[in-house]
Amino acid sequence: MTITTGQVDQDLVTLMNDVFGDYAEHHPTSTDTTLDREFWRRLDDLGLIRLTGPEESGGSGADWHTAAELLSAAVRHAVRVPLAEHDLLACAVLDDAGLPVDDAARTVTVLDEHGTATRVPWASTSDKVVTVFESGGKWLVADVPVGDLDVTPGANPLGEPRDDIAVDVNTLAATEAPDGLIERLRLKSALVRAIQVCAALDKTLELTVQHASVRTQFGRSLSRFQAVQHLIADMAAEAALARTSTEAALTAAVATDWAGANVPFLVATARSCTGHGASVVVRNAHQVHGAIGTTREHQLHHFTRPALTWRAEFGSVQHWDDQVAQAALSARDDLWGLITR
Amino acid sequence: MSTLPRLVPPCSPEAPELRALREEVREFLDDQRAAGAFTPHVDCWISAWDEEFTAALAIRGWLGLTVPEEYGGHGKSFLHRYVVTEELLAAGAPVAAHWVGDRQIAPSLLKYGTEGQRHAFLPGIVRGERFFAIGMSEPDSGSDLASARTRAVRVEDGWRITGTKVWTSGAHRSHALMLLARTSPVDPEHRHAGLSQFIVDLDSPGLTISPIHWMNGEHHFNEVSLDEVFVPDDRVFGEIGNGWKQVTSELGFERSGPERTLSTFPVLAGLADRMGRGELPADPALGRLVARITGARQMSAAVAGQLQRHLPADVAAAVVKVLGTTTEGDIADLADLHCDDTTDPGFRDLVQTAVDHRPGFTIRGGTNEILRGVIARELGLR
Ligand SMILES: Cc1cc2nc3c(=O)[nH]c(=O)nc-3n(C[C@H](O)[C@H](O)[C@H](O)COP(=O)(O)OP(=O)(O)OC[C@H]3O[C@@H](n4cnc5c(N)ncnc54)[C@H](O)[C@@H]3O)c2cc1C
Repeated sequence: MTITTGQVDQDLVTLMNDVFGDYAEHHPTSTDTTLDREFWRRLDDLGLIRLTGPEESGGSGADWHTAAELLSAAVRHAVRVPLAEHDLLACAVLDDAGLPVDDAARTVTVLDEHGTATRVPWASTSDKVVTVFESGGKWLVADVPVGDLDVTPGANPLGEPRDDIAVDVNTLAATEAPDGLIERLRLKSALVRAIQVCAALDKTLELTVQHASVRTQFGRSLSRFQAVQHLIADMAAEAALARTSTEAALTAAVATDWAGANVPFLVATARSCTGHGASVVVRNAHQVHGAIGTTREHQLHHFTRPALTWRAEFGSVQHWDDQVAQAALSARDDLWGLITR
Repeated sequence: MSTLPRLVPPCSPEAPELRALREEVREFLDDQRAAGAFTPHVDCWISAWDEEFTAALAIRGWLGLTVPEEYGGHGKSFLHRYVVTEELLAAGAPVAAHWVGDRQIAPSLLKYGTEGQRHAFLPGIVRGERFFAIGMSEPDSGSDLASARTRAVRVEDGWRITGTKVWTSGAHRSHALMLLARTSPVDPEHRHAGLSQFIVDLDSPGLTISPIHWMNGEHHFNEVSLDEVFVPDDRVFGEIGNGWKQVTSELGFERSGPERTLSTFPVLAGLADRMGRGELPADPALGRLVARITGARQMSAAVAGQLQRHLPADVAAAVVKVLGTTTEGDIADLADLHCDDTTDPGFRDLVQTAVDHRPGFTIRGGTNEILRGVIARELGLR
């Protein structure tokens, strides 16, 4: 399957929504998430697993804008699959390092000097973990079967696997990493989560608008009360800011193949805006839903908890605020130049 | 694939031509600053009035950018204007004198003015010689503008207007007032009907301008009272009875501009500089606000693109204004939290002005509560 780059194809977006919608209907979201291999194969058949991979190596040749649609569709249906970890992060690192990509389901991590990494997304459910590590003053990449790693399973509050791993790096067959690989991986990981948070915020807003329109109190729908309208308008504004800043970062990243001088700043900005936006959106959504929205039976938490969970992965909100602040401090008296670069 | 409308359009990267213009404005501003022509102001678009500076901008061709050449203008796009105004505001340049004319009156004249009015007013706006004020608010009519009571009564060859306008920024230094008045009595069924606009000379007999001082003693706005002020027919603006539509049609321009995010930018830049030099402790709260200003300006630019394509943008503008004005106020507050007796007096004054001006940010041009209502309506809640 070939996907043209540029404007995201609407038929493809419909297909994505149908696939996840159909799956969600038959598989209630649980907090014990494993990789559903059957579903993974189905996504593979549709060309959605290696969406951005080059066509020569079996990918679909799509761009990140299309990938962002795919991730967002999964989030909107509360389907948890490691699409980003596999395609946008792990396989992209292999491509970057000139290593072959096969059918294995993958994730990626950067090991510390002891050969360990904590809370690696989806490691325990992957076939291989792409590991990046420093050895002898060089950055190396190795594509490691999960059986060769010491894996201690864990999970984030959503039940998504976040596993600790350890390995003796001297036993790994590794290739030298090209310049900037670590930085690109860091930026991509951060932006993936921003994209997911944006989708969760939009869906939260949508549910809240629906709820306010159907729930009546004092003889009229909640949406008629100005206090409720203002809670929701603030959610909408924050969600829009999160989306704008994330799209701006994505556009700059794609246009420069992640090498633009302003990409790190824009990614940090996106993470800051989505992170703080989540505070307002989640708070107000629960307020408008009242008690029902606090329950496990209600679907609201399928979007509010992820928004808060994902904003805390690949750097806390505070961390990203700090990155923006550091950029501003280094800009000295040219803050405006930094913002408009 | 959501059931909700997208509130803010996607943004696109800046065209090279605009980038070049940006650099040109920046160089000019550096030179002006170096020559001591101005020091950066807070809220410069309402309070920093400098007719010499305005004239210097006019000579460069940076006023009336979107005005067609037949009226003395430069026939450029709205995005050119956006870049120029954004640079001026970020620098805190004194732009209050021409602000209303350039932002509001020129586009309104192009949309609703007569040929005679365009020729009478546009060249003066472009040359930076003719200044305007806006007479909408009244003592009993703020958010509920349709309740305006200033009345215009038909007389031979024109209208006689009686009433009181308040919060009229810059009226004491302007030449003309774009005034909203009732030309027929309130119809409770159609509250927005019967309103009309007039261009009123501010030296008309029967018109009195009295200062209203800001809490820190500054004078930028006024009360304007009109006692049977005569306005000739050729100063009726647009159509009699169409005033409501006329004033609301341009709100996308008024509410989404860079002035809704950058009023305190010199304070933010000053904070970053001081924290960068270790004069103030580094604070991640700075990062949060820099990120929000960056995001808000990306939104504002996206709306500018939408306006350039002649697409409606009033809801997107409401989103920009709610977020932007809150953030520019939060910048004033963050800076204030870092100030004490040891802060250098120059910066302390800048921050004090920002703190004093802050309450106005979320009020002028439509309060944030009213704007939340606009957003809620778009979401189908009203
Ligand atoms: C710096 C500055 C410059 C200005 N310059 C001009 C100018 O040049 N020309 C001009 O005509 N006007 C000008 N104004 C006036 C400005 O447009 C009005 O102040 C504004 O429209 C609000 O009206 P108000 O002050 O009467 O407040 P009110 O309308 O009395 O509102 C008071 C409070 O009640 C809230 N409120 C009112 N109605 C509602 C509602 N339906 N739902 C929820 N909350 C509501 C408001 O949000 C606000 O918080 C200026 C104001 C400022 C601060």
